[in-house]
Amino acid sequence: MLKEHILGFRSLSIIGMCKNAGKTTVLNRIIRELRDEPMTLALTSIGRDGEAVDVVTGTAKPGIYVYEGSLVATARDMLRFCDATREIVGTTPYSTPLGDVVIFRARGDGGVQLAGPSMTAQLIELTNAFETLGADMTVIDGALSRKSLCAPAVSEATVLCTGASYSRSIDTLVGDTAFAAKLLTLPRQTLWSGAEAGDPQAPKVRLRRKDGTVLIPPEGKSLAQALRAPENRDVAGVFISGALTEATLRPVLQGGADIAGVEFAALDGSRLLIGRDAYDKLALRGAKLAVARPVRVAAVAVNPVSACGFDMDPAELLARMREAVDVPVLDVMNEDGGLL
Amino acid sequence: MRHEFERNIGFRYAIDLLEPASPYGRAKIAGLRFFSPDERPELERQLQNVVRTLHHLAPLAPEYEKISLYMMPLKDIRRSVEMCREAALSETELFELKRFCLQSVLISPVFARIRDASGIEGIDIRAQEEALGLLDPENARAATFFLPDASSKALLAIRKEKRALEEKLRRAADRDERARLMAERAAVAAREDVEENRLRAEICEGLRPHIDGILRCMDGIANFDFTLARAKLAAAYGGCAVEFSRNEVEFVDMRNPRVADALKERGGSFTPVSISAGPGAALITGANMGGKSVALKTLALNALLVKAGLLPFAKSARLPLFEEIFLVAEDGEDVGRGLSSFGAEIVRFNEMLSRALRAKGVCLLLLDEFARGTNPEEGALIARAVTRRLNGLPHVGVLTTHYDGVARYAKLHYEVAGLRDMDVAAVAREIAANRGDGVRVIARHMNYGLYRAQGRESCPRDARNVCMLLGMDAEILKDIAAQE
Repeated sequence: MLKEHILGFRSLSIIGMCKNAGKTTVLNRIIRELRDEPMTLALTSIGRDGEAVDVVTGTAKPGIYVYEGSLVATARDMLRFCDATREIVGTTPYSTPLGDVVIFRARGDGGVQLAGPSMTAQLIELTNAFETLGADMTVIDGALSRKSLCAPAVSEATVLCTGASYSRSIDTLVGDTAFAAKLLTLPRQTLWSGAEAGDPQAPKVRLRRKDGTVLIPPEGKSLAQALRAPENRDVAGVFISGALTEATLRPVLQGGADIAGVEFAALDGSRLLIGRDAYDKLALRGAKLAVARPVRVAAVAVNPVSACGFDMDPAELLARMREAVDVPVLDVMNEDGGLL
Repeated sequence: MRHEFERNIGFRYAIDLLEPASPYGRAKIAGLRFFSPDERPELERQLQNVVRTLHHLAPLAPEYEKISLYMMPLKDIRRSVEMCREAALSETELFELKRFCLQSVLISPVFARIRDASGIEGIDIRAQEEALGLLDPENARAATFFLPDASSKALLAIRKEKRALEEKLRRAADRDERARLMAERAAVAAREDVEENRLRAEICEGLRPHIDGILRCMDGIANFDFTLARAKLAAAYGGCAVEFSRNEVEFVDMRNPRVADALKERGGSFTPVSISAGPGAALITGANMGGKSVALKTLALNALLVKAGLLPFAKSARLPLFEEIFLVAEDGEDVGRGLSSFGAEIVRFNEMLSRALRAKGVCLLLLDEFARGTNPEEGALIARAVTRRLNGLPHVGVLTTHYDGVARYAKLHYEVAGLRDMDVAAVAREIAANRGDGVRVIARHMNYGLYRAQGRESCPRDARNVCMLLGMDAEILKDIAAQE
């Protein structure tokens, strides 16, 4: 059962490596498994998801089926696509292209369409509003790709969904998924206070010396140049506000800077836009990668069925994925989940 | 109508200080309008209400706090209420309307107590009980919107059927059976949707006779919220009641919040401005740095505030309800429009004069250092001629100038005392002690008060003292003295 791995969290996000990774199926399974628990579930999404037909690929998608008593936050214009009997309990000022986000309580079972707020701060507020209304757990359905990666930042745990739609090659699929899970679950950074890490006004690059002082590379100087400077030999760590990209990292890796033991940190896993190659090279040079807000990956869900009709062998996919990650792995298409 | 000088005189600053509790009050302020002379009864009623509210802010403090708390969560839903005249509202819109009606039930009795105790008139906030009854037939008073099963026999039957199917679905394990039940359930849900739509349309039908009452209630909240915000602003910055006159202005101890706040930030304080003037031209002369412009802008601000329905910032105020208020002053925007500042000034003056000549009522014509941008001989000639022209008009005109020989043509002459009574040697010593901050020291010794200076011809010679105190080159100062 999936629920064993998620019970107890105040909030859970479900994110996908690609479309048709089986996010909605996983969400429905969670709702179904928690149905008879003595708890109130609250549901929303980052942006829009849960359409009967996927607007991007045009393939048929399963709807989200909720049970009586659940709380749902969705855009005003999505209400007409929800067929659960409902009681409107609140409005919010969060606007979406489909109207402001509205909160209702399901007074019966039924299908819902989710289109929640897209800003991190709004999702945090909404989670609190749900709790005020009696929710025990908020489940956030992450939308497509980049945006959905914000979801882990506002939830205590995440379920990472992946599948045959991601790549025709099982090696690529397993390798990239394991790598994504690794980035999400990087250790907590050790050199910066919460306020320093979360400061929205902070410069893009900050260096911390071993004596605790902070160094900001002068205008026009790259991170690589700053690390190479002889006077900066005693740098213990680097904090990147915004995204840590390959473009920032490549000169560091190619240059002669000694980065053994240096901690490279970003706010959360969604800010690390680096490939496996760069990650491996960093590790090889003895550098450490960390985040200010580590996320717990509760499980990895795999979908062996691809949207374009190219399917993988479920047993092989499951076995390979279990080898590659150290969290529970389940097959979304298998009725019992294939979960060990 | 907007005045191009609203920002320049601190009017926008004052308006931005208003803190209404509800979006209805905010909309009122966003659509702020200026009263014309024939709307005086309404303006007087509003100002009276603000004064009465101001006087009761302390004794009724808990009531005002309570009503503000009730007004704060309101949403401006006038558009959907208007729409209800012709169409059925959605469940979210009905939810919002129900929330409004629930709030009106809370607000109304508090408002009634405030109205009876403070004596404000012409504002009414009625609890929307009838409308609420339609939106809450079971009288649960819950702040949610739900069509109960008992709304109609049809809905009751549909919901029962739907629930039975949902119950079966919960137990169904077989994939095909689930699909069949899902399809069956979807058909029932579609019927539920149709019936709910019909019921909502019925509710809206029933609401229709109450729409005018609901909108009046929203208007009442808007007016009350705006009144309360004006009274609080007057309490914070010292507003007073207004006595309307035919064509005479008499302000005692006027203040300008923007200038006062800026001075306070720098550790200074605002010197209140008192002025009286009637038809014709009144002149303000005085030292550089003496605050002539501030005095004029403070007059413009307070006259305009009254025209907009706010209490003036003063100890007492007597003035006409001006038909129009004009201010010709340098505001730094002329260069951008490709006109020299002198050229722009003349264009503005022409427009002011032609509109004033056409006006049926009394106007306030304010000129700040008119013709300052040209050579002093011609500038003085122009200022004198303009003063004579304004003297012949039925409007209240106030000019500032530092040109000589203008005062003789004005009906009234004020002078900014400036550095007149200052001990120059003492101030020089103080500046020496406060190395480099001469401007601040002079500002502290400057007497910004306006004094009647009838019979005096020339402007005070403070400029030389300012030059000396600010440490101008000794040779130049010697040369100035020699020329005199």
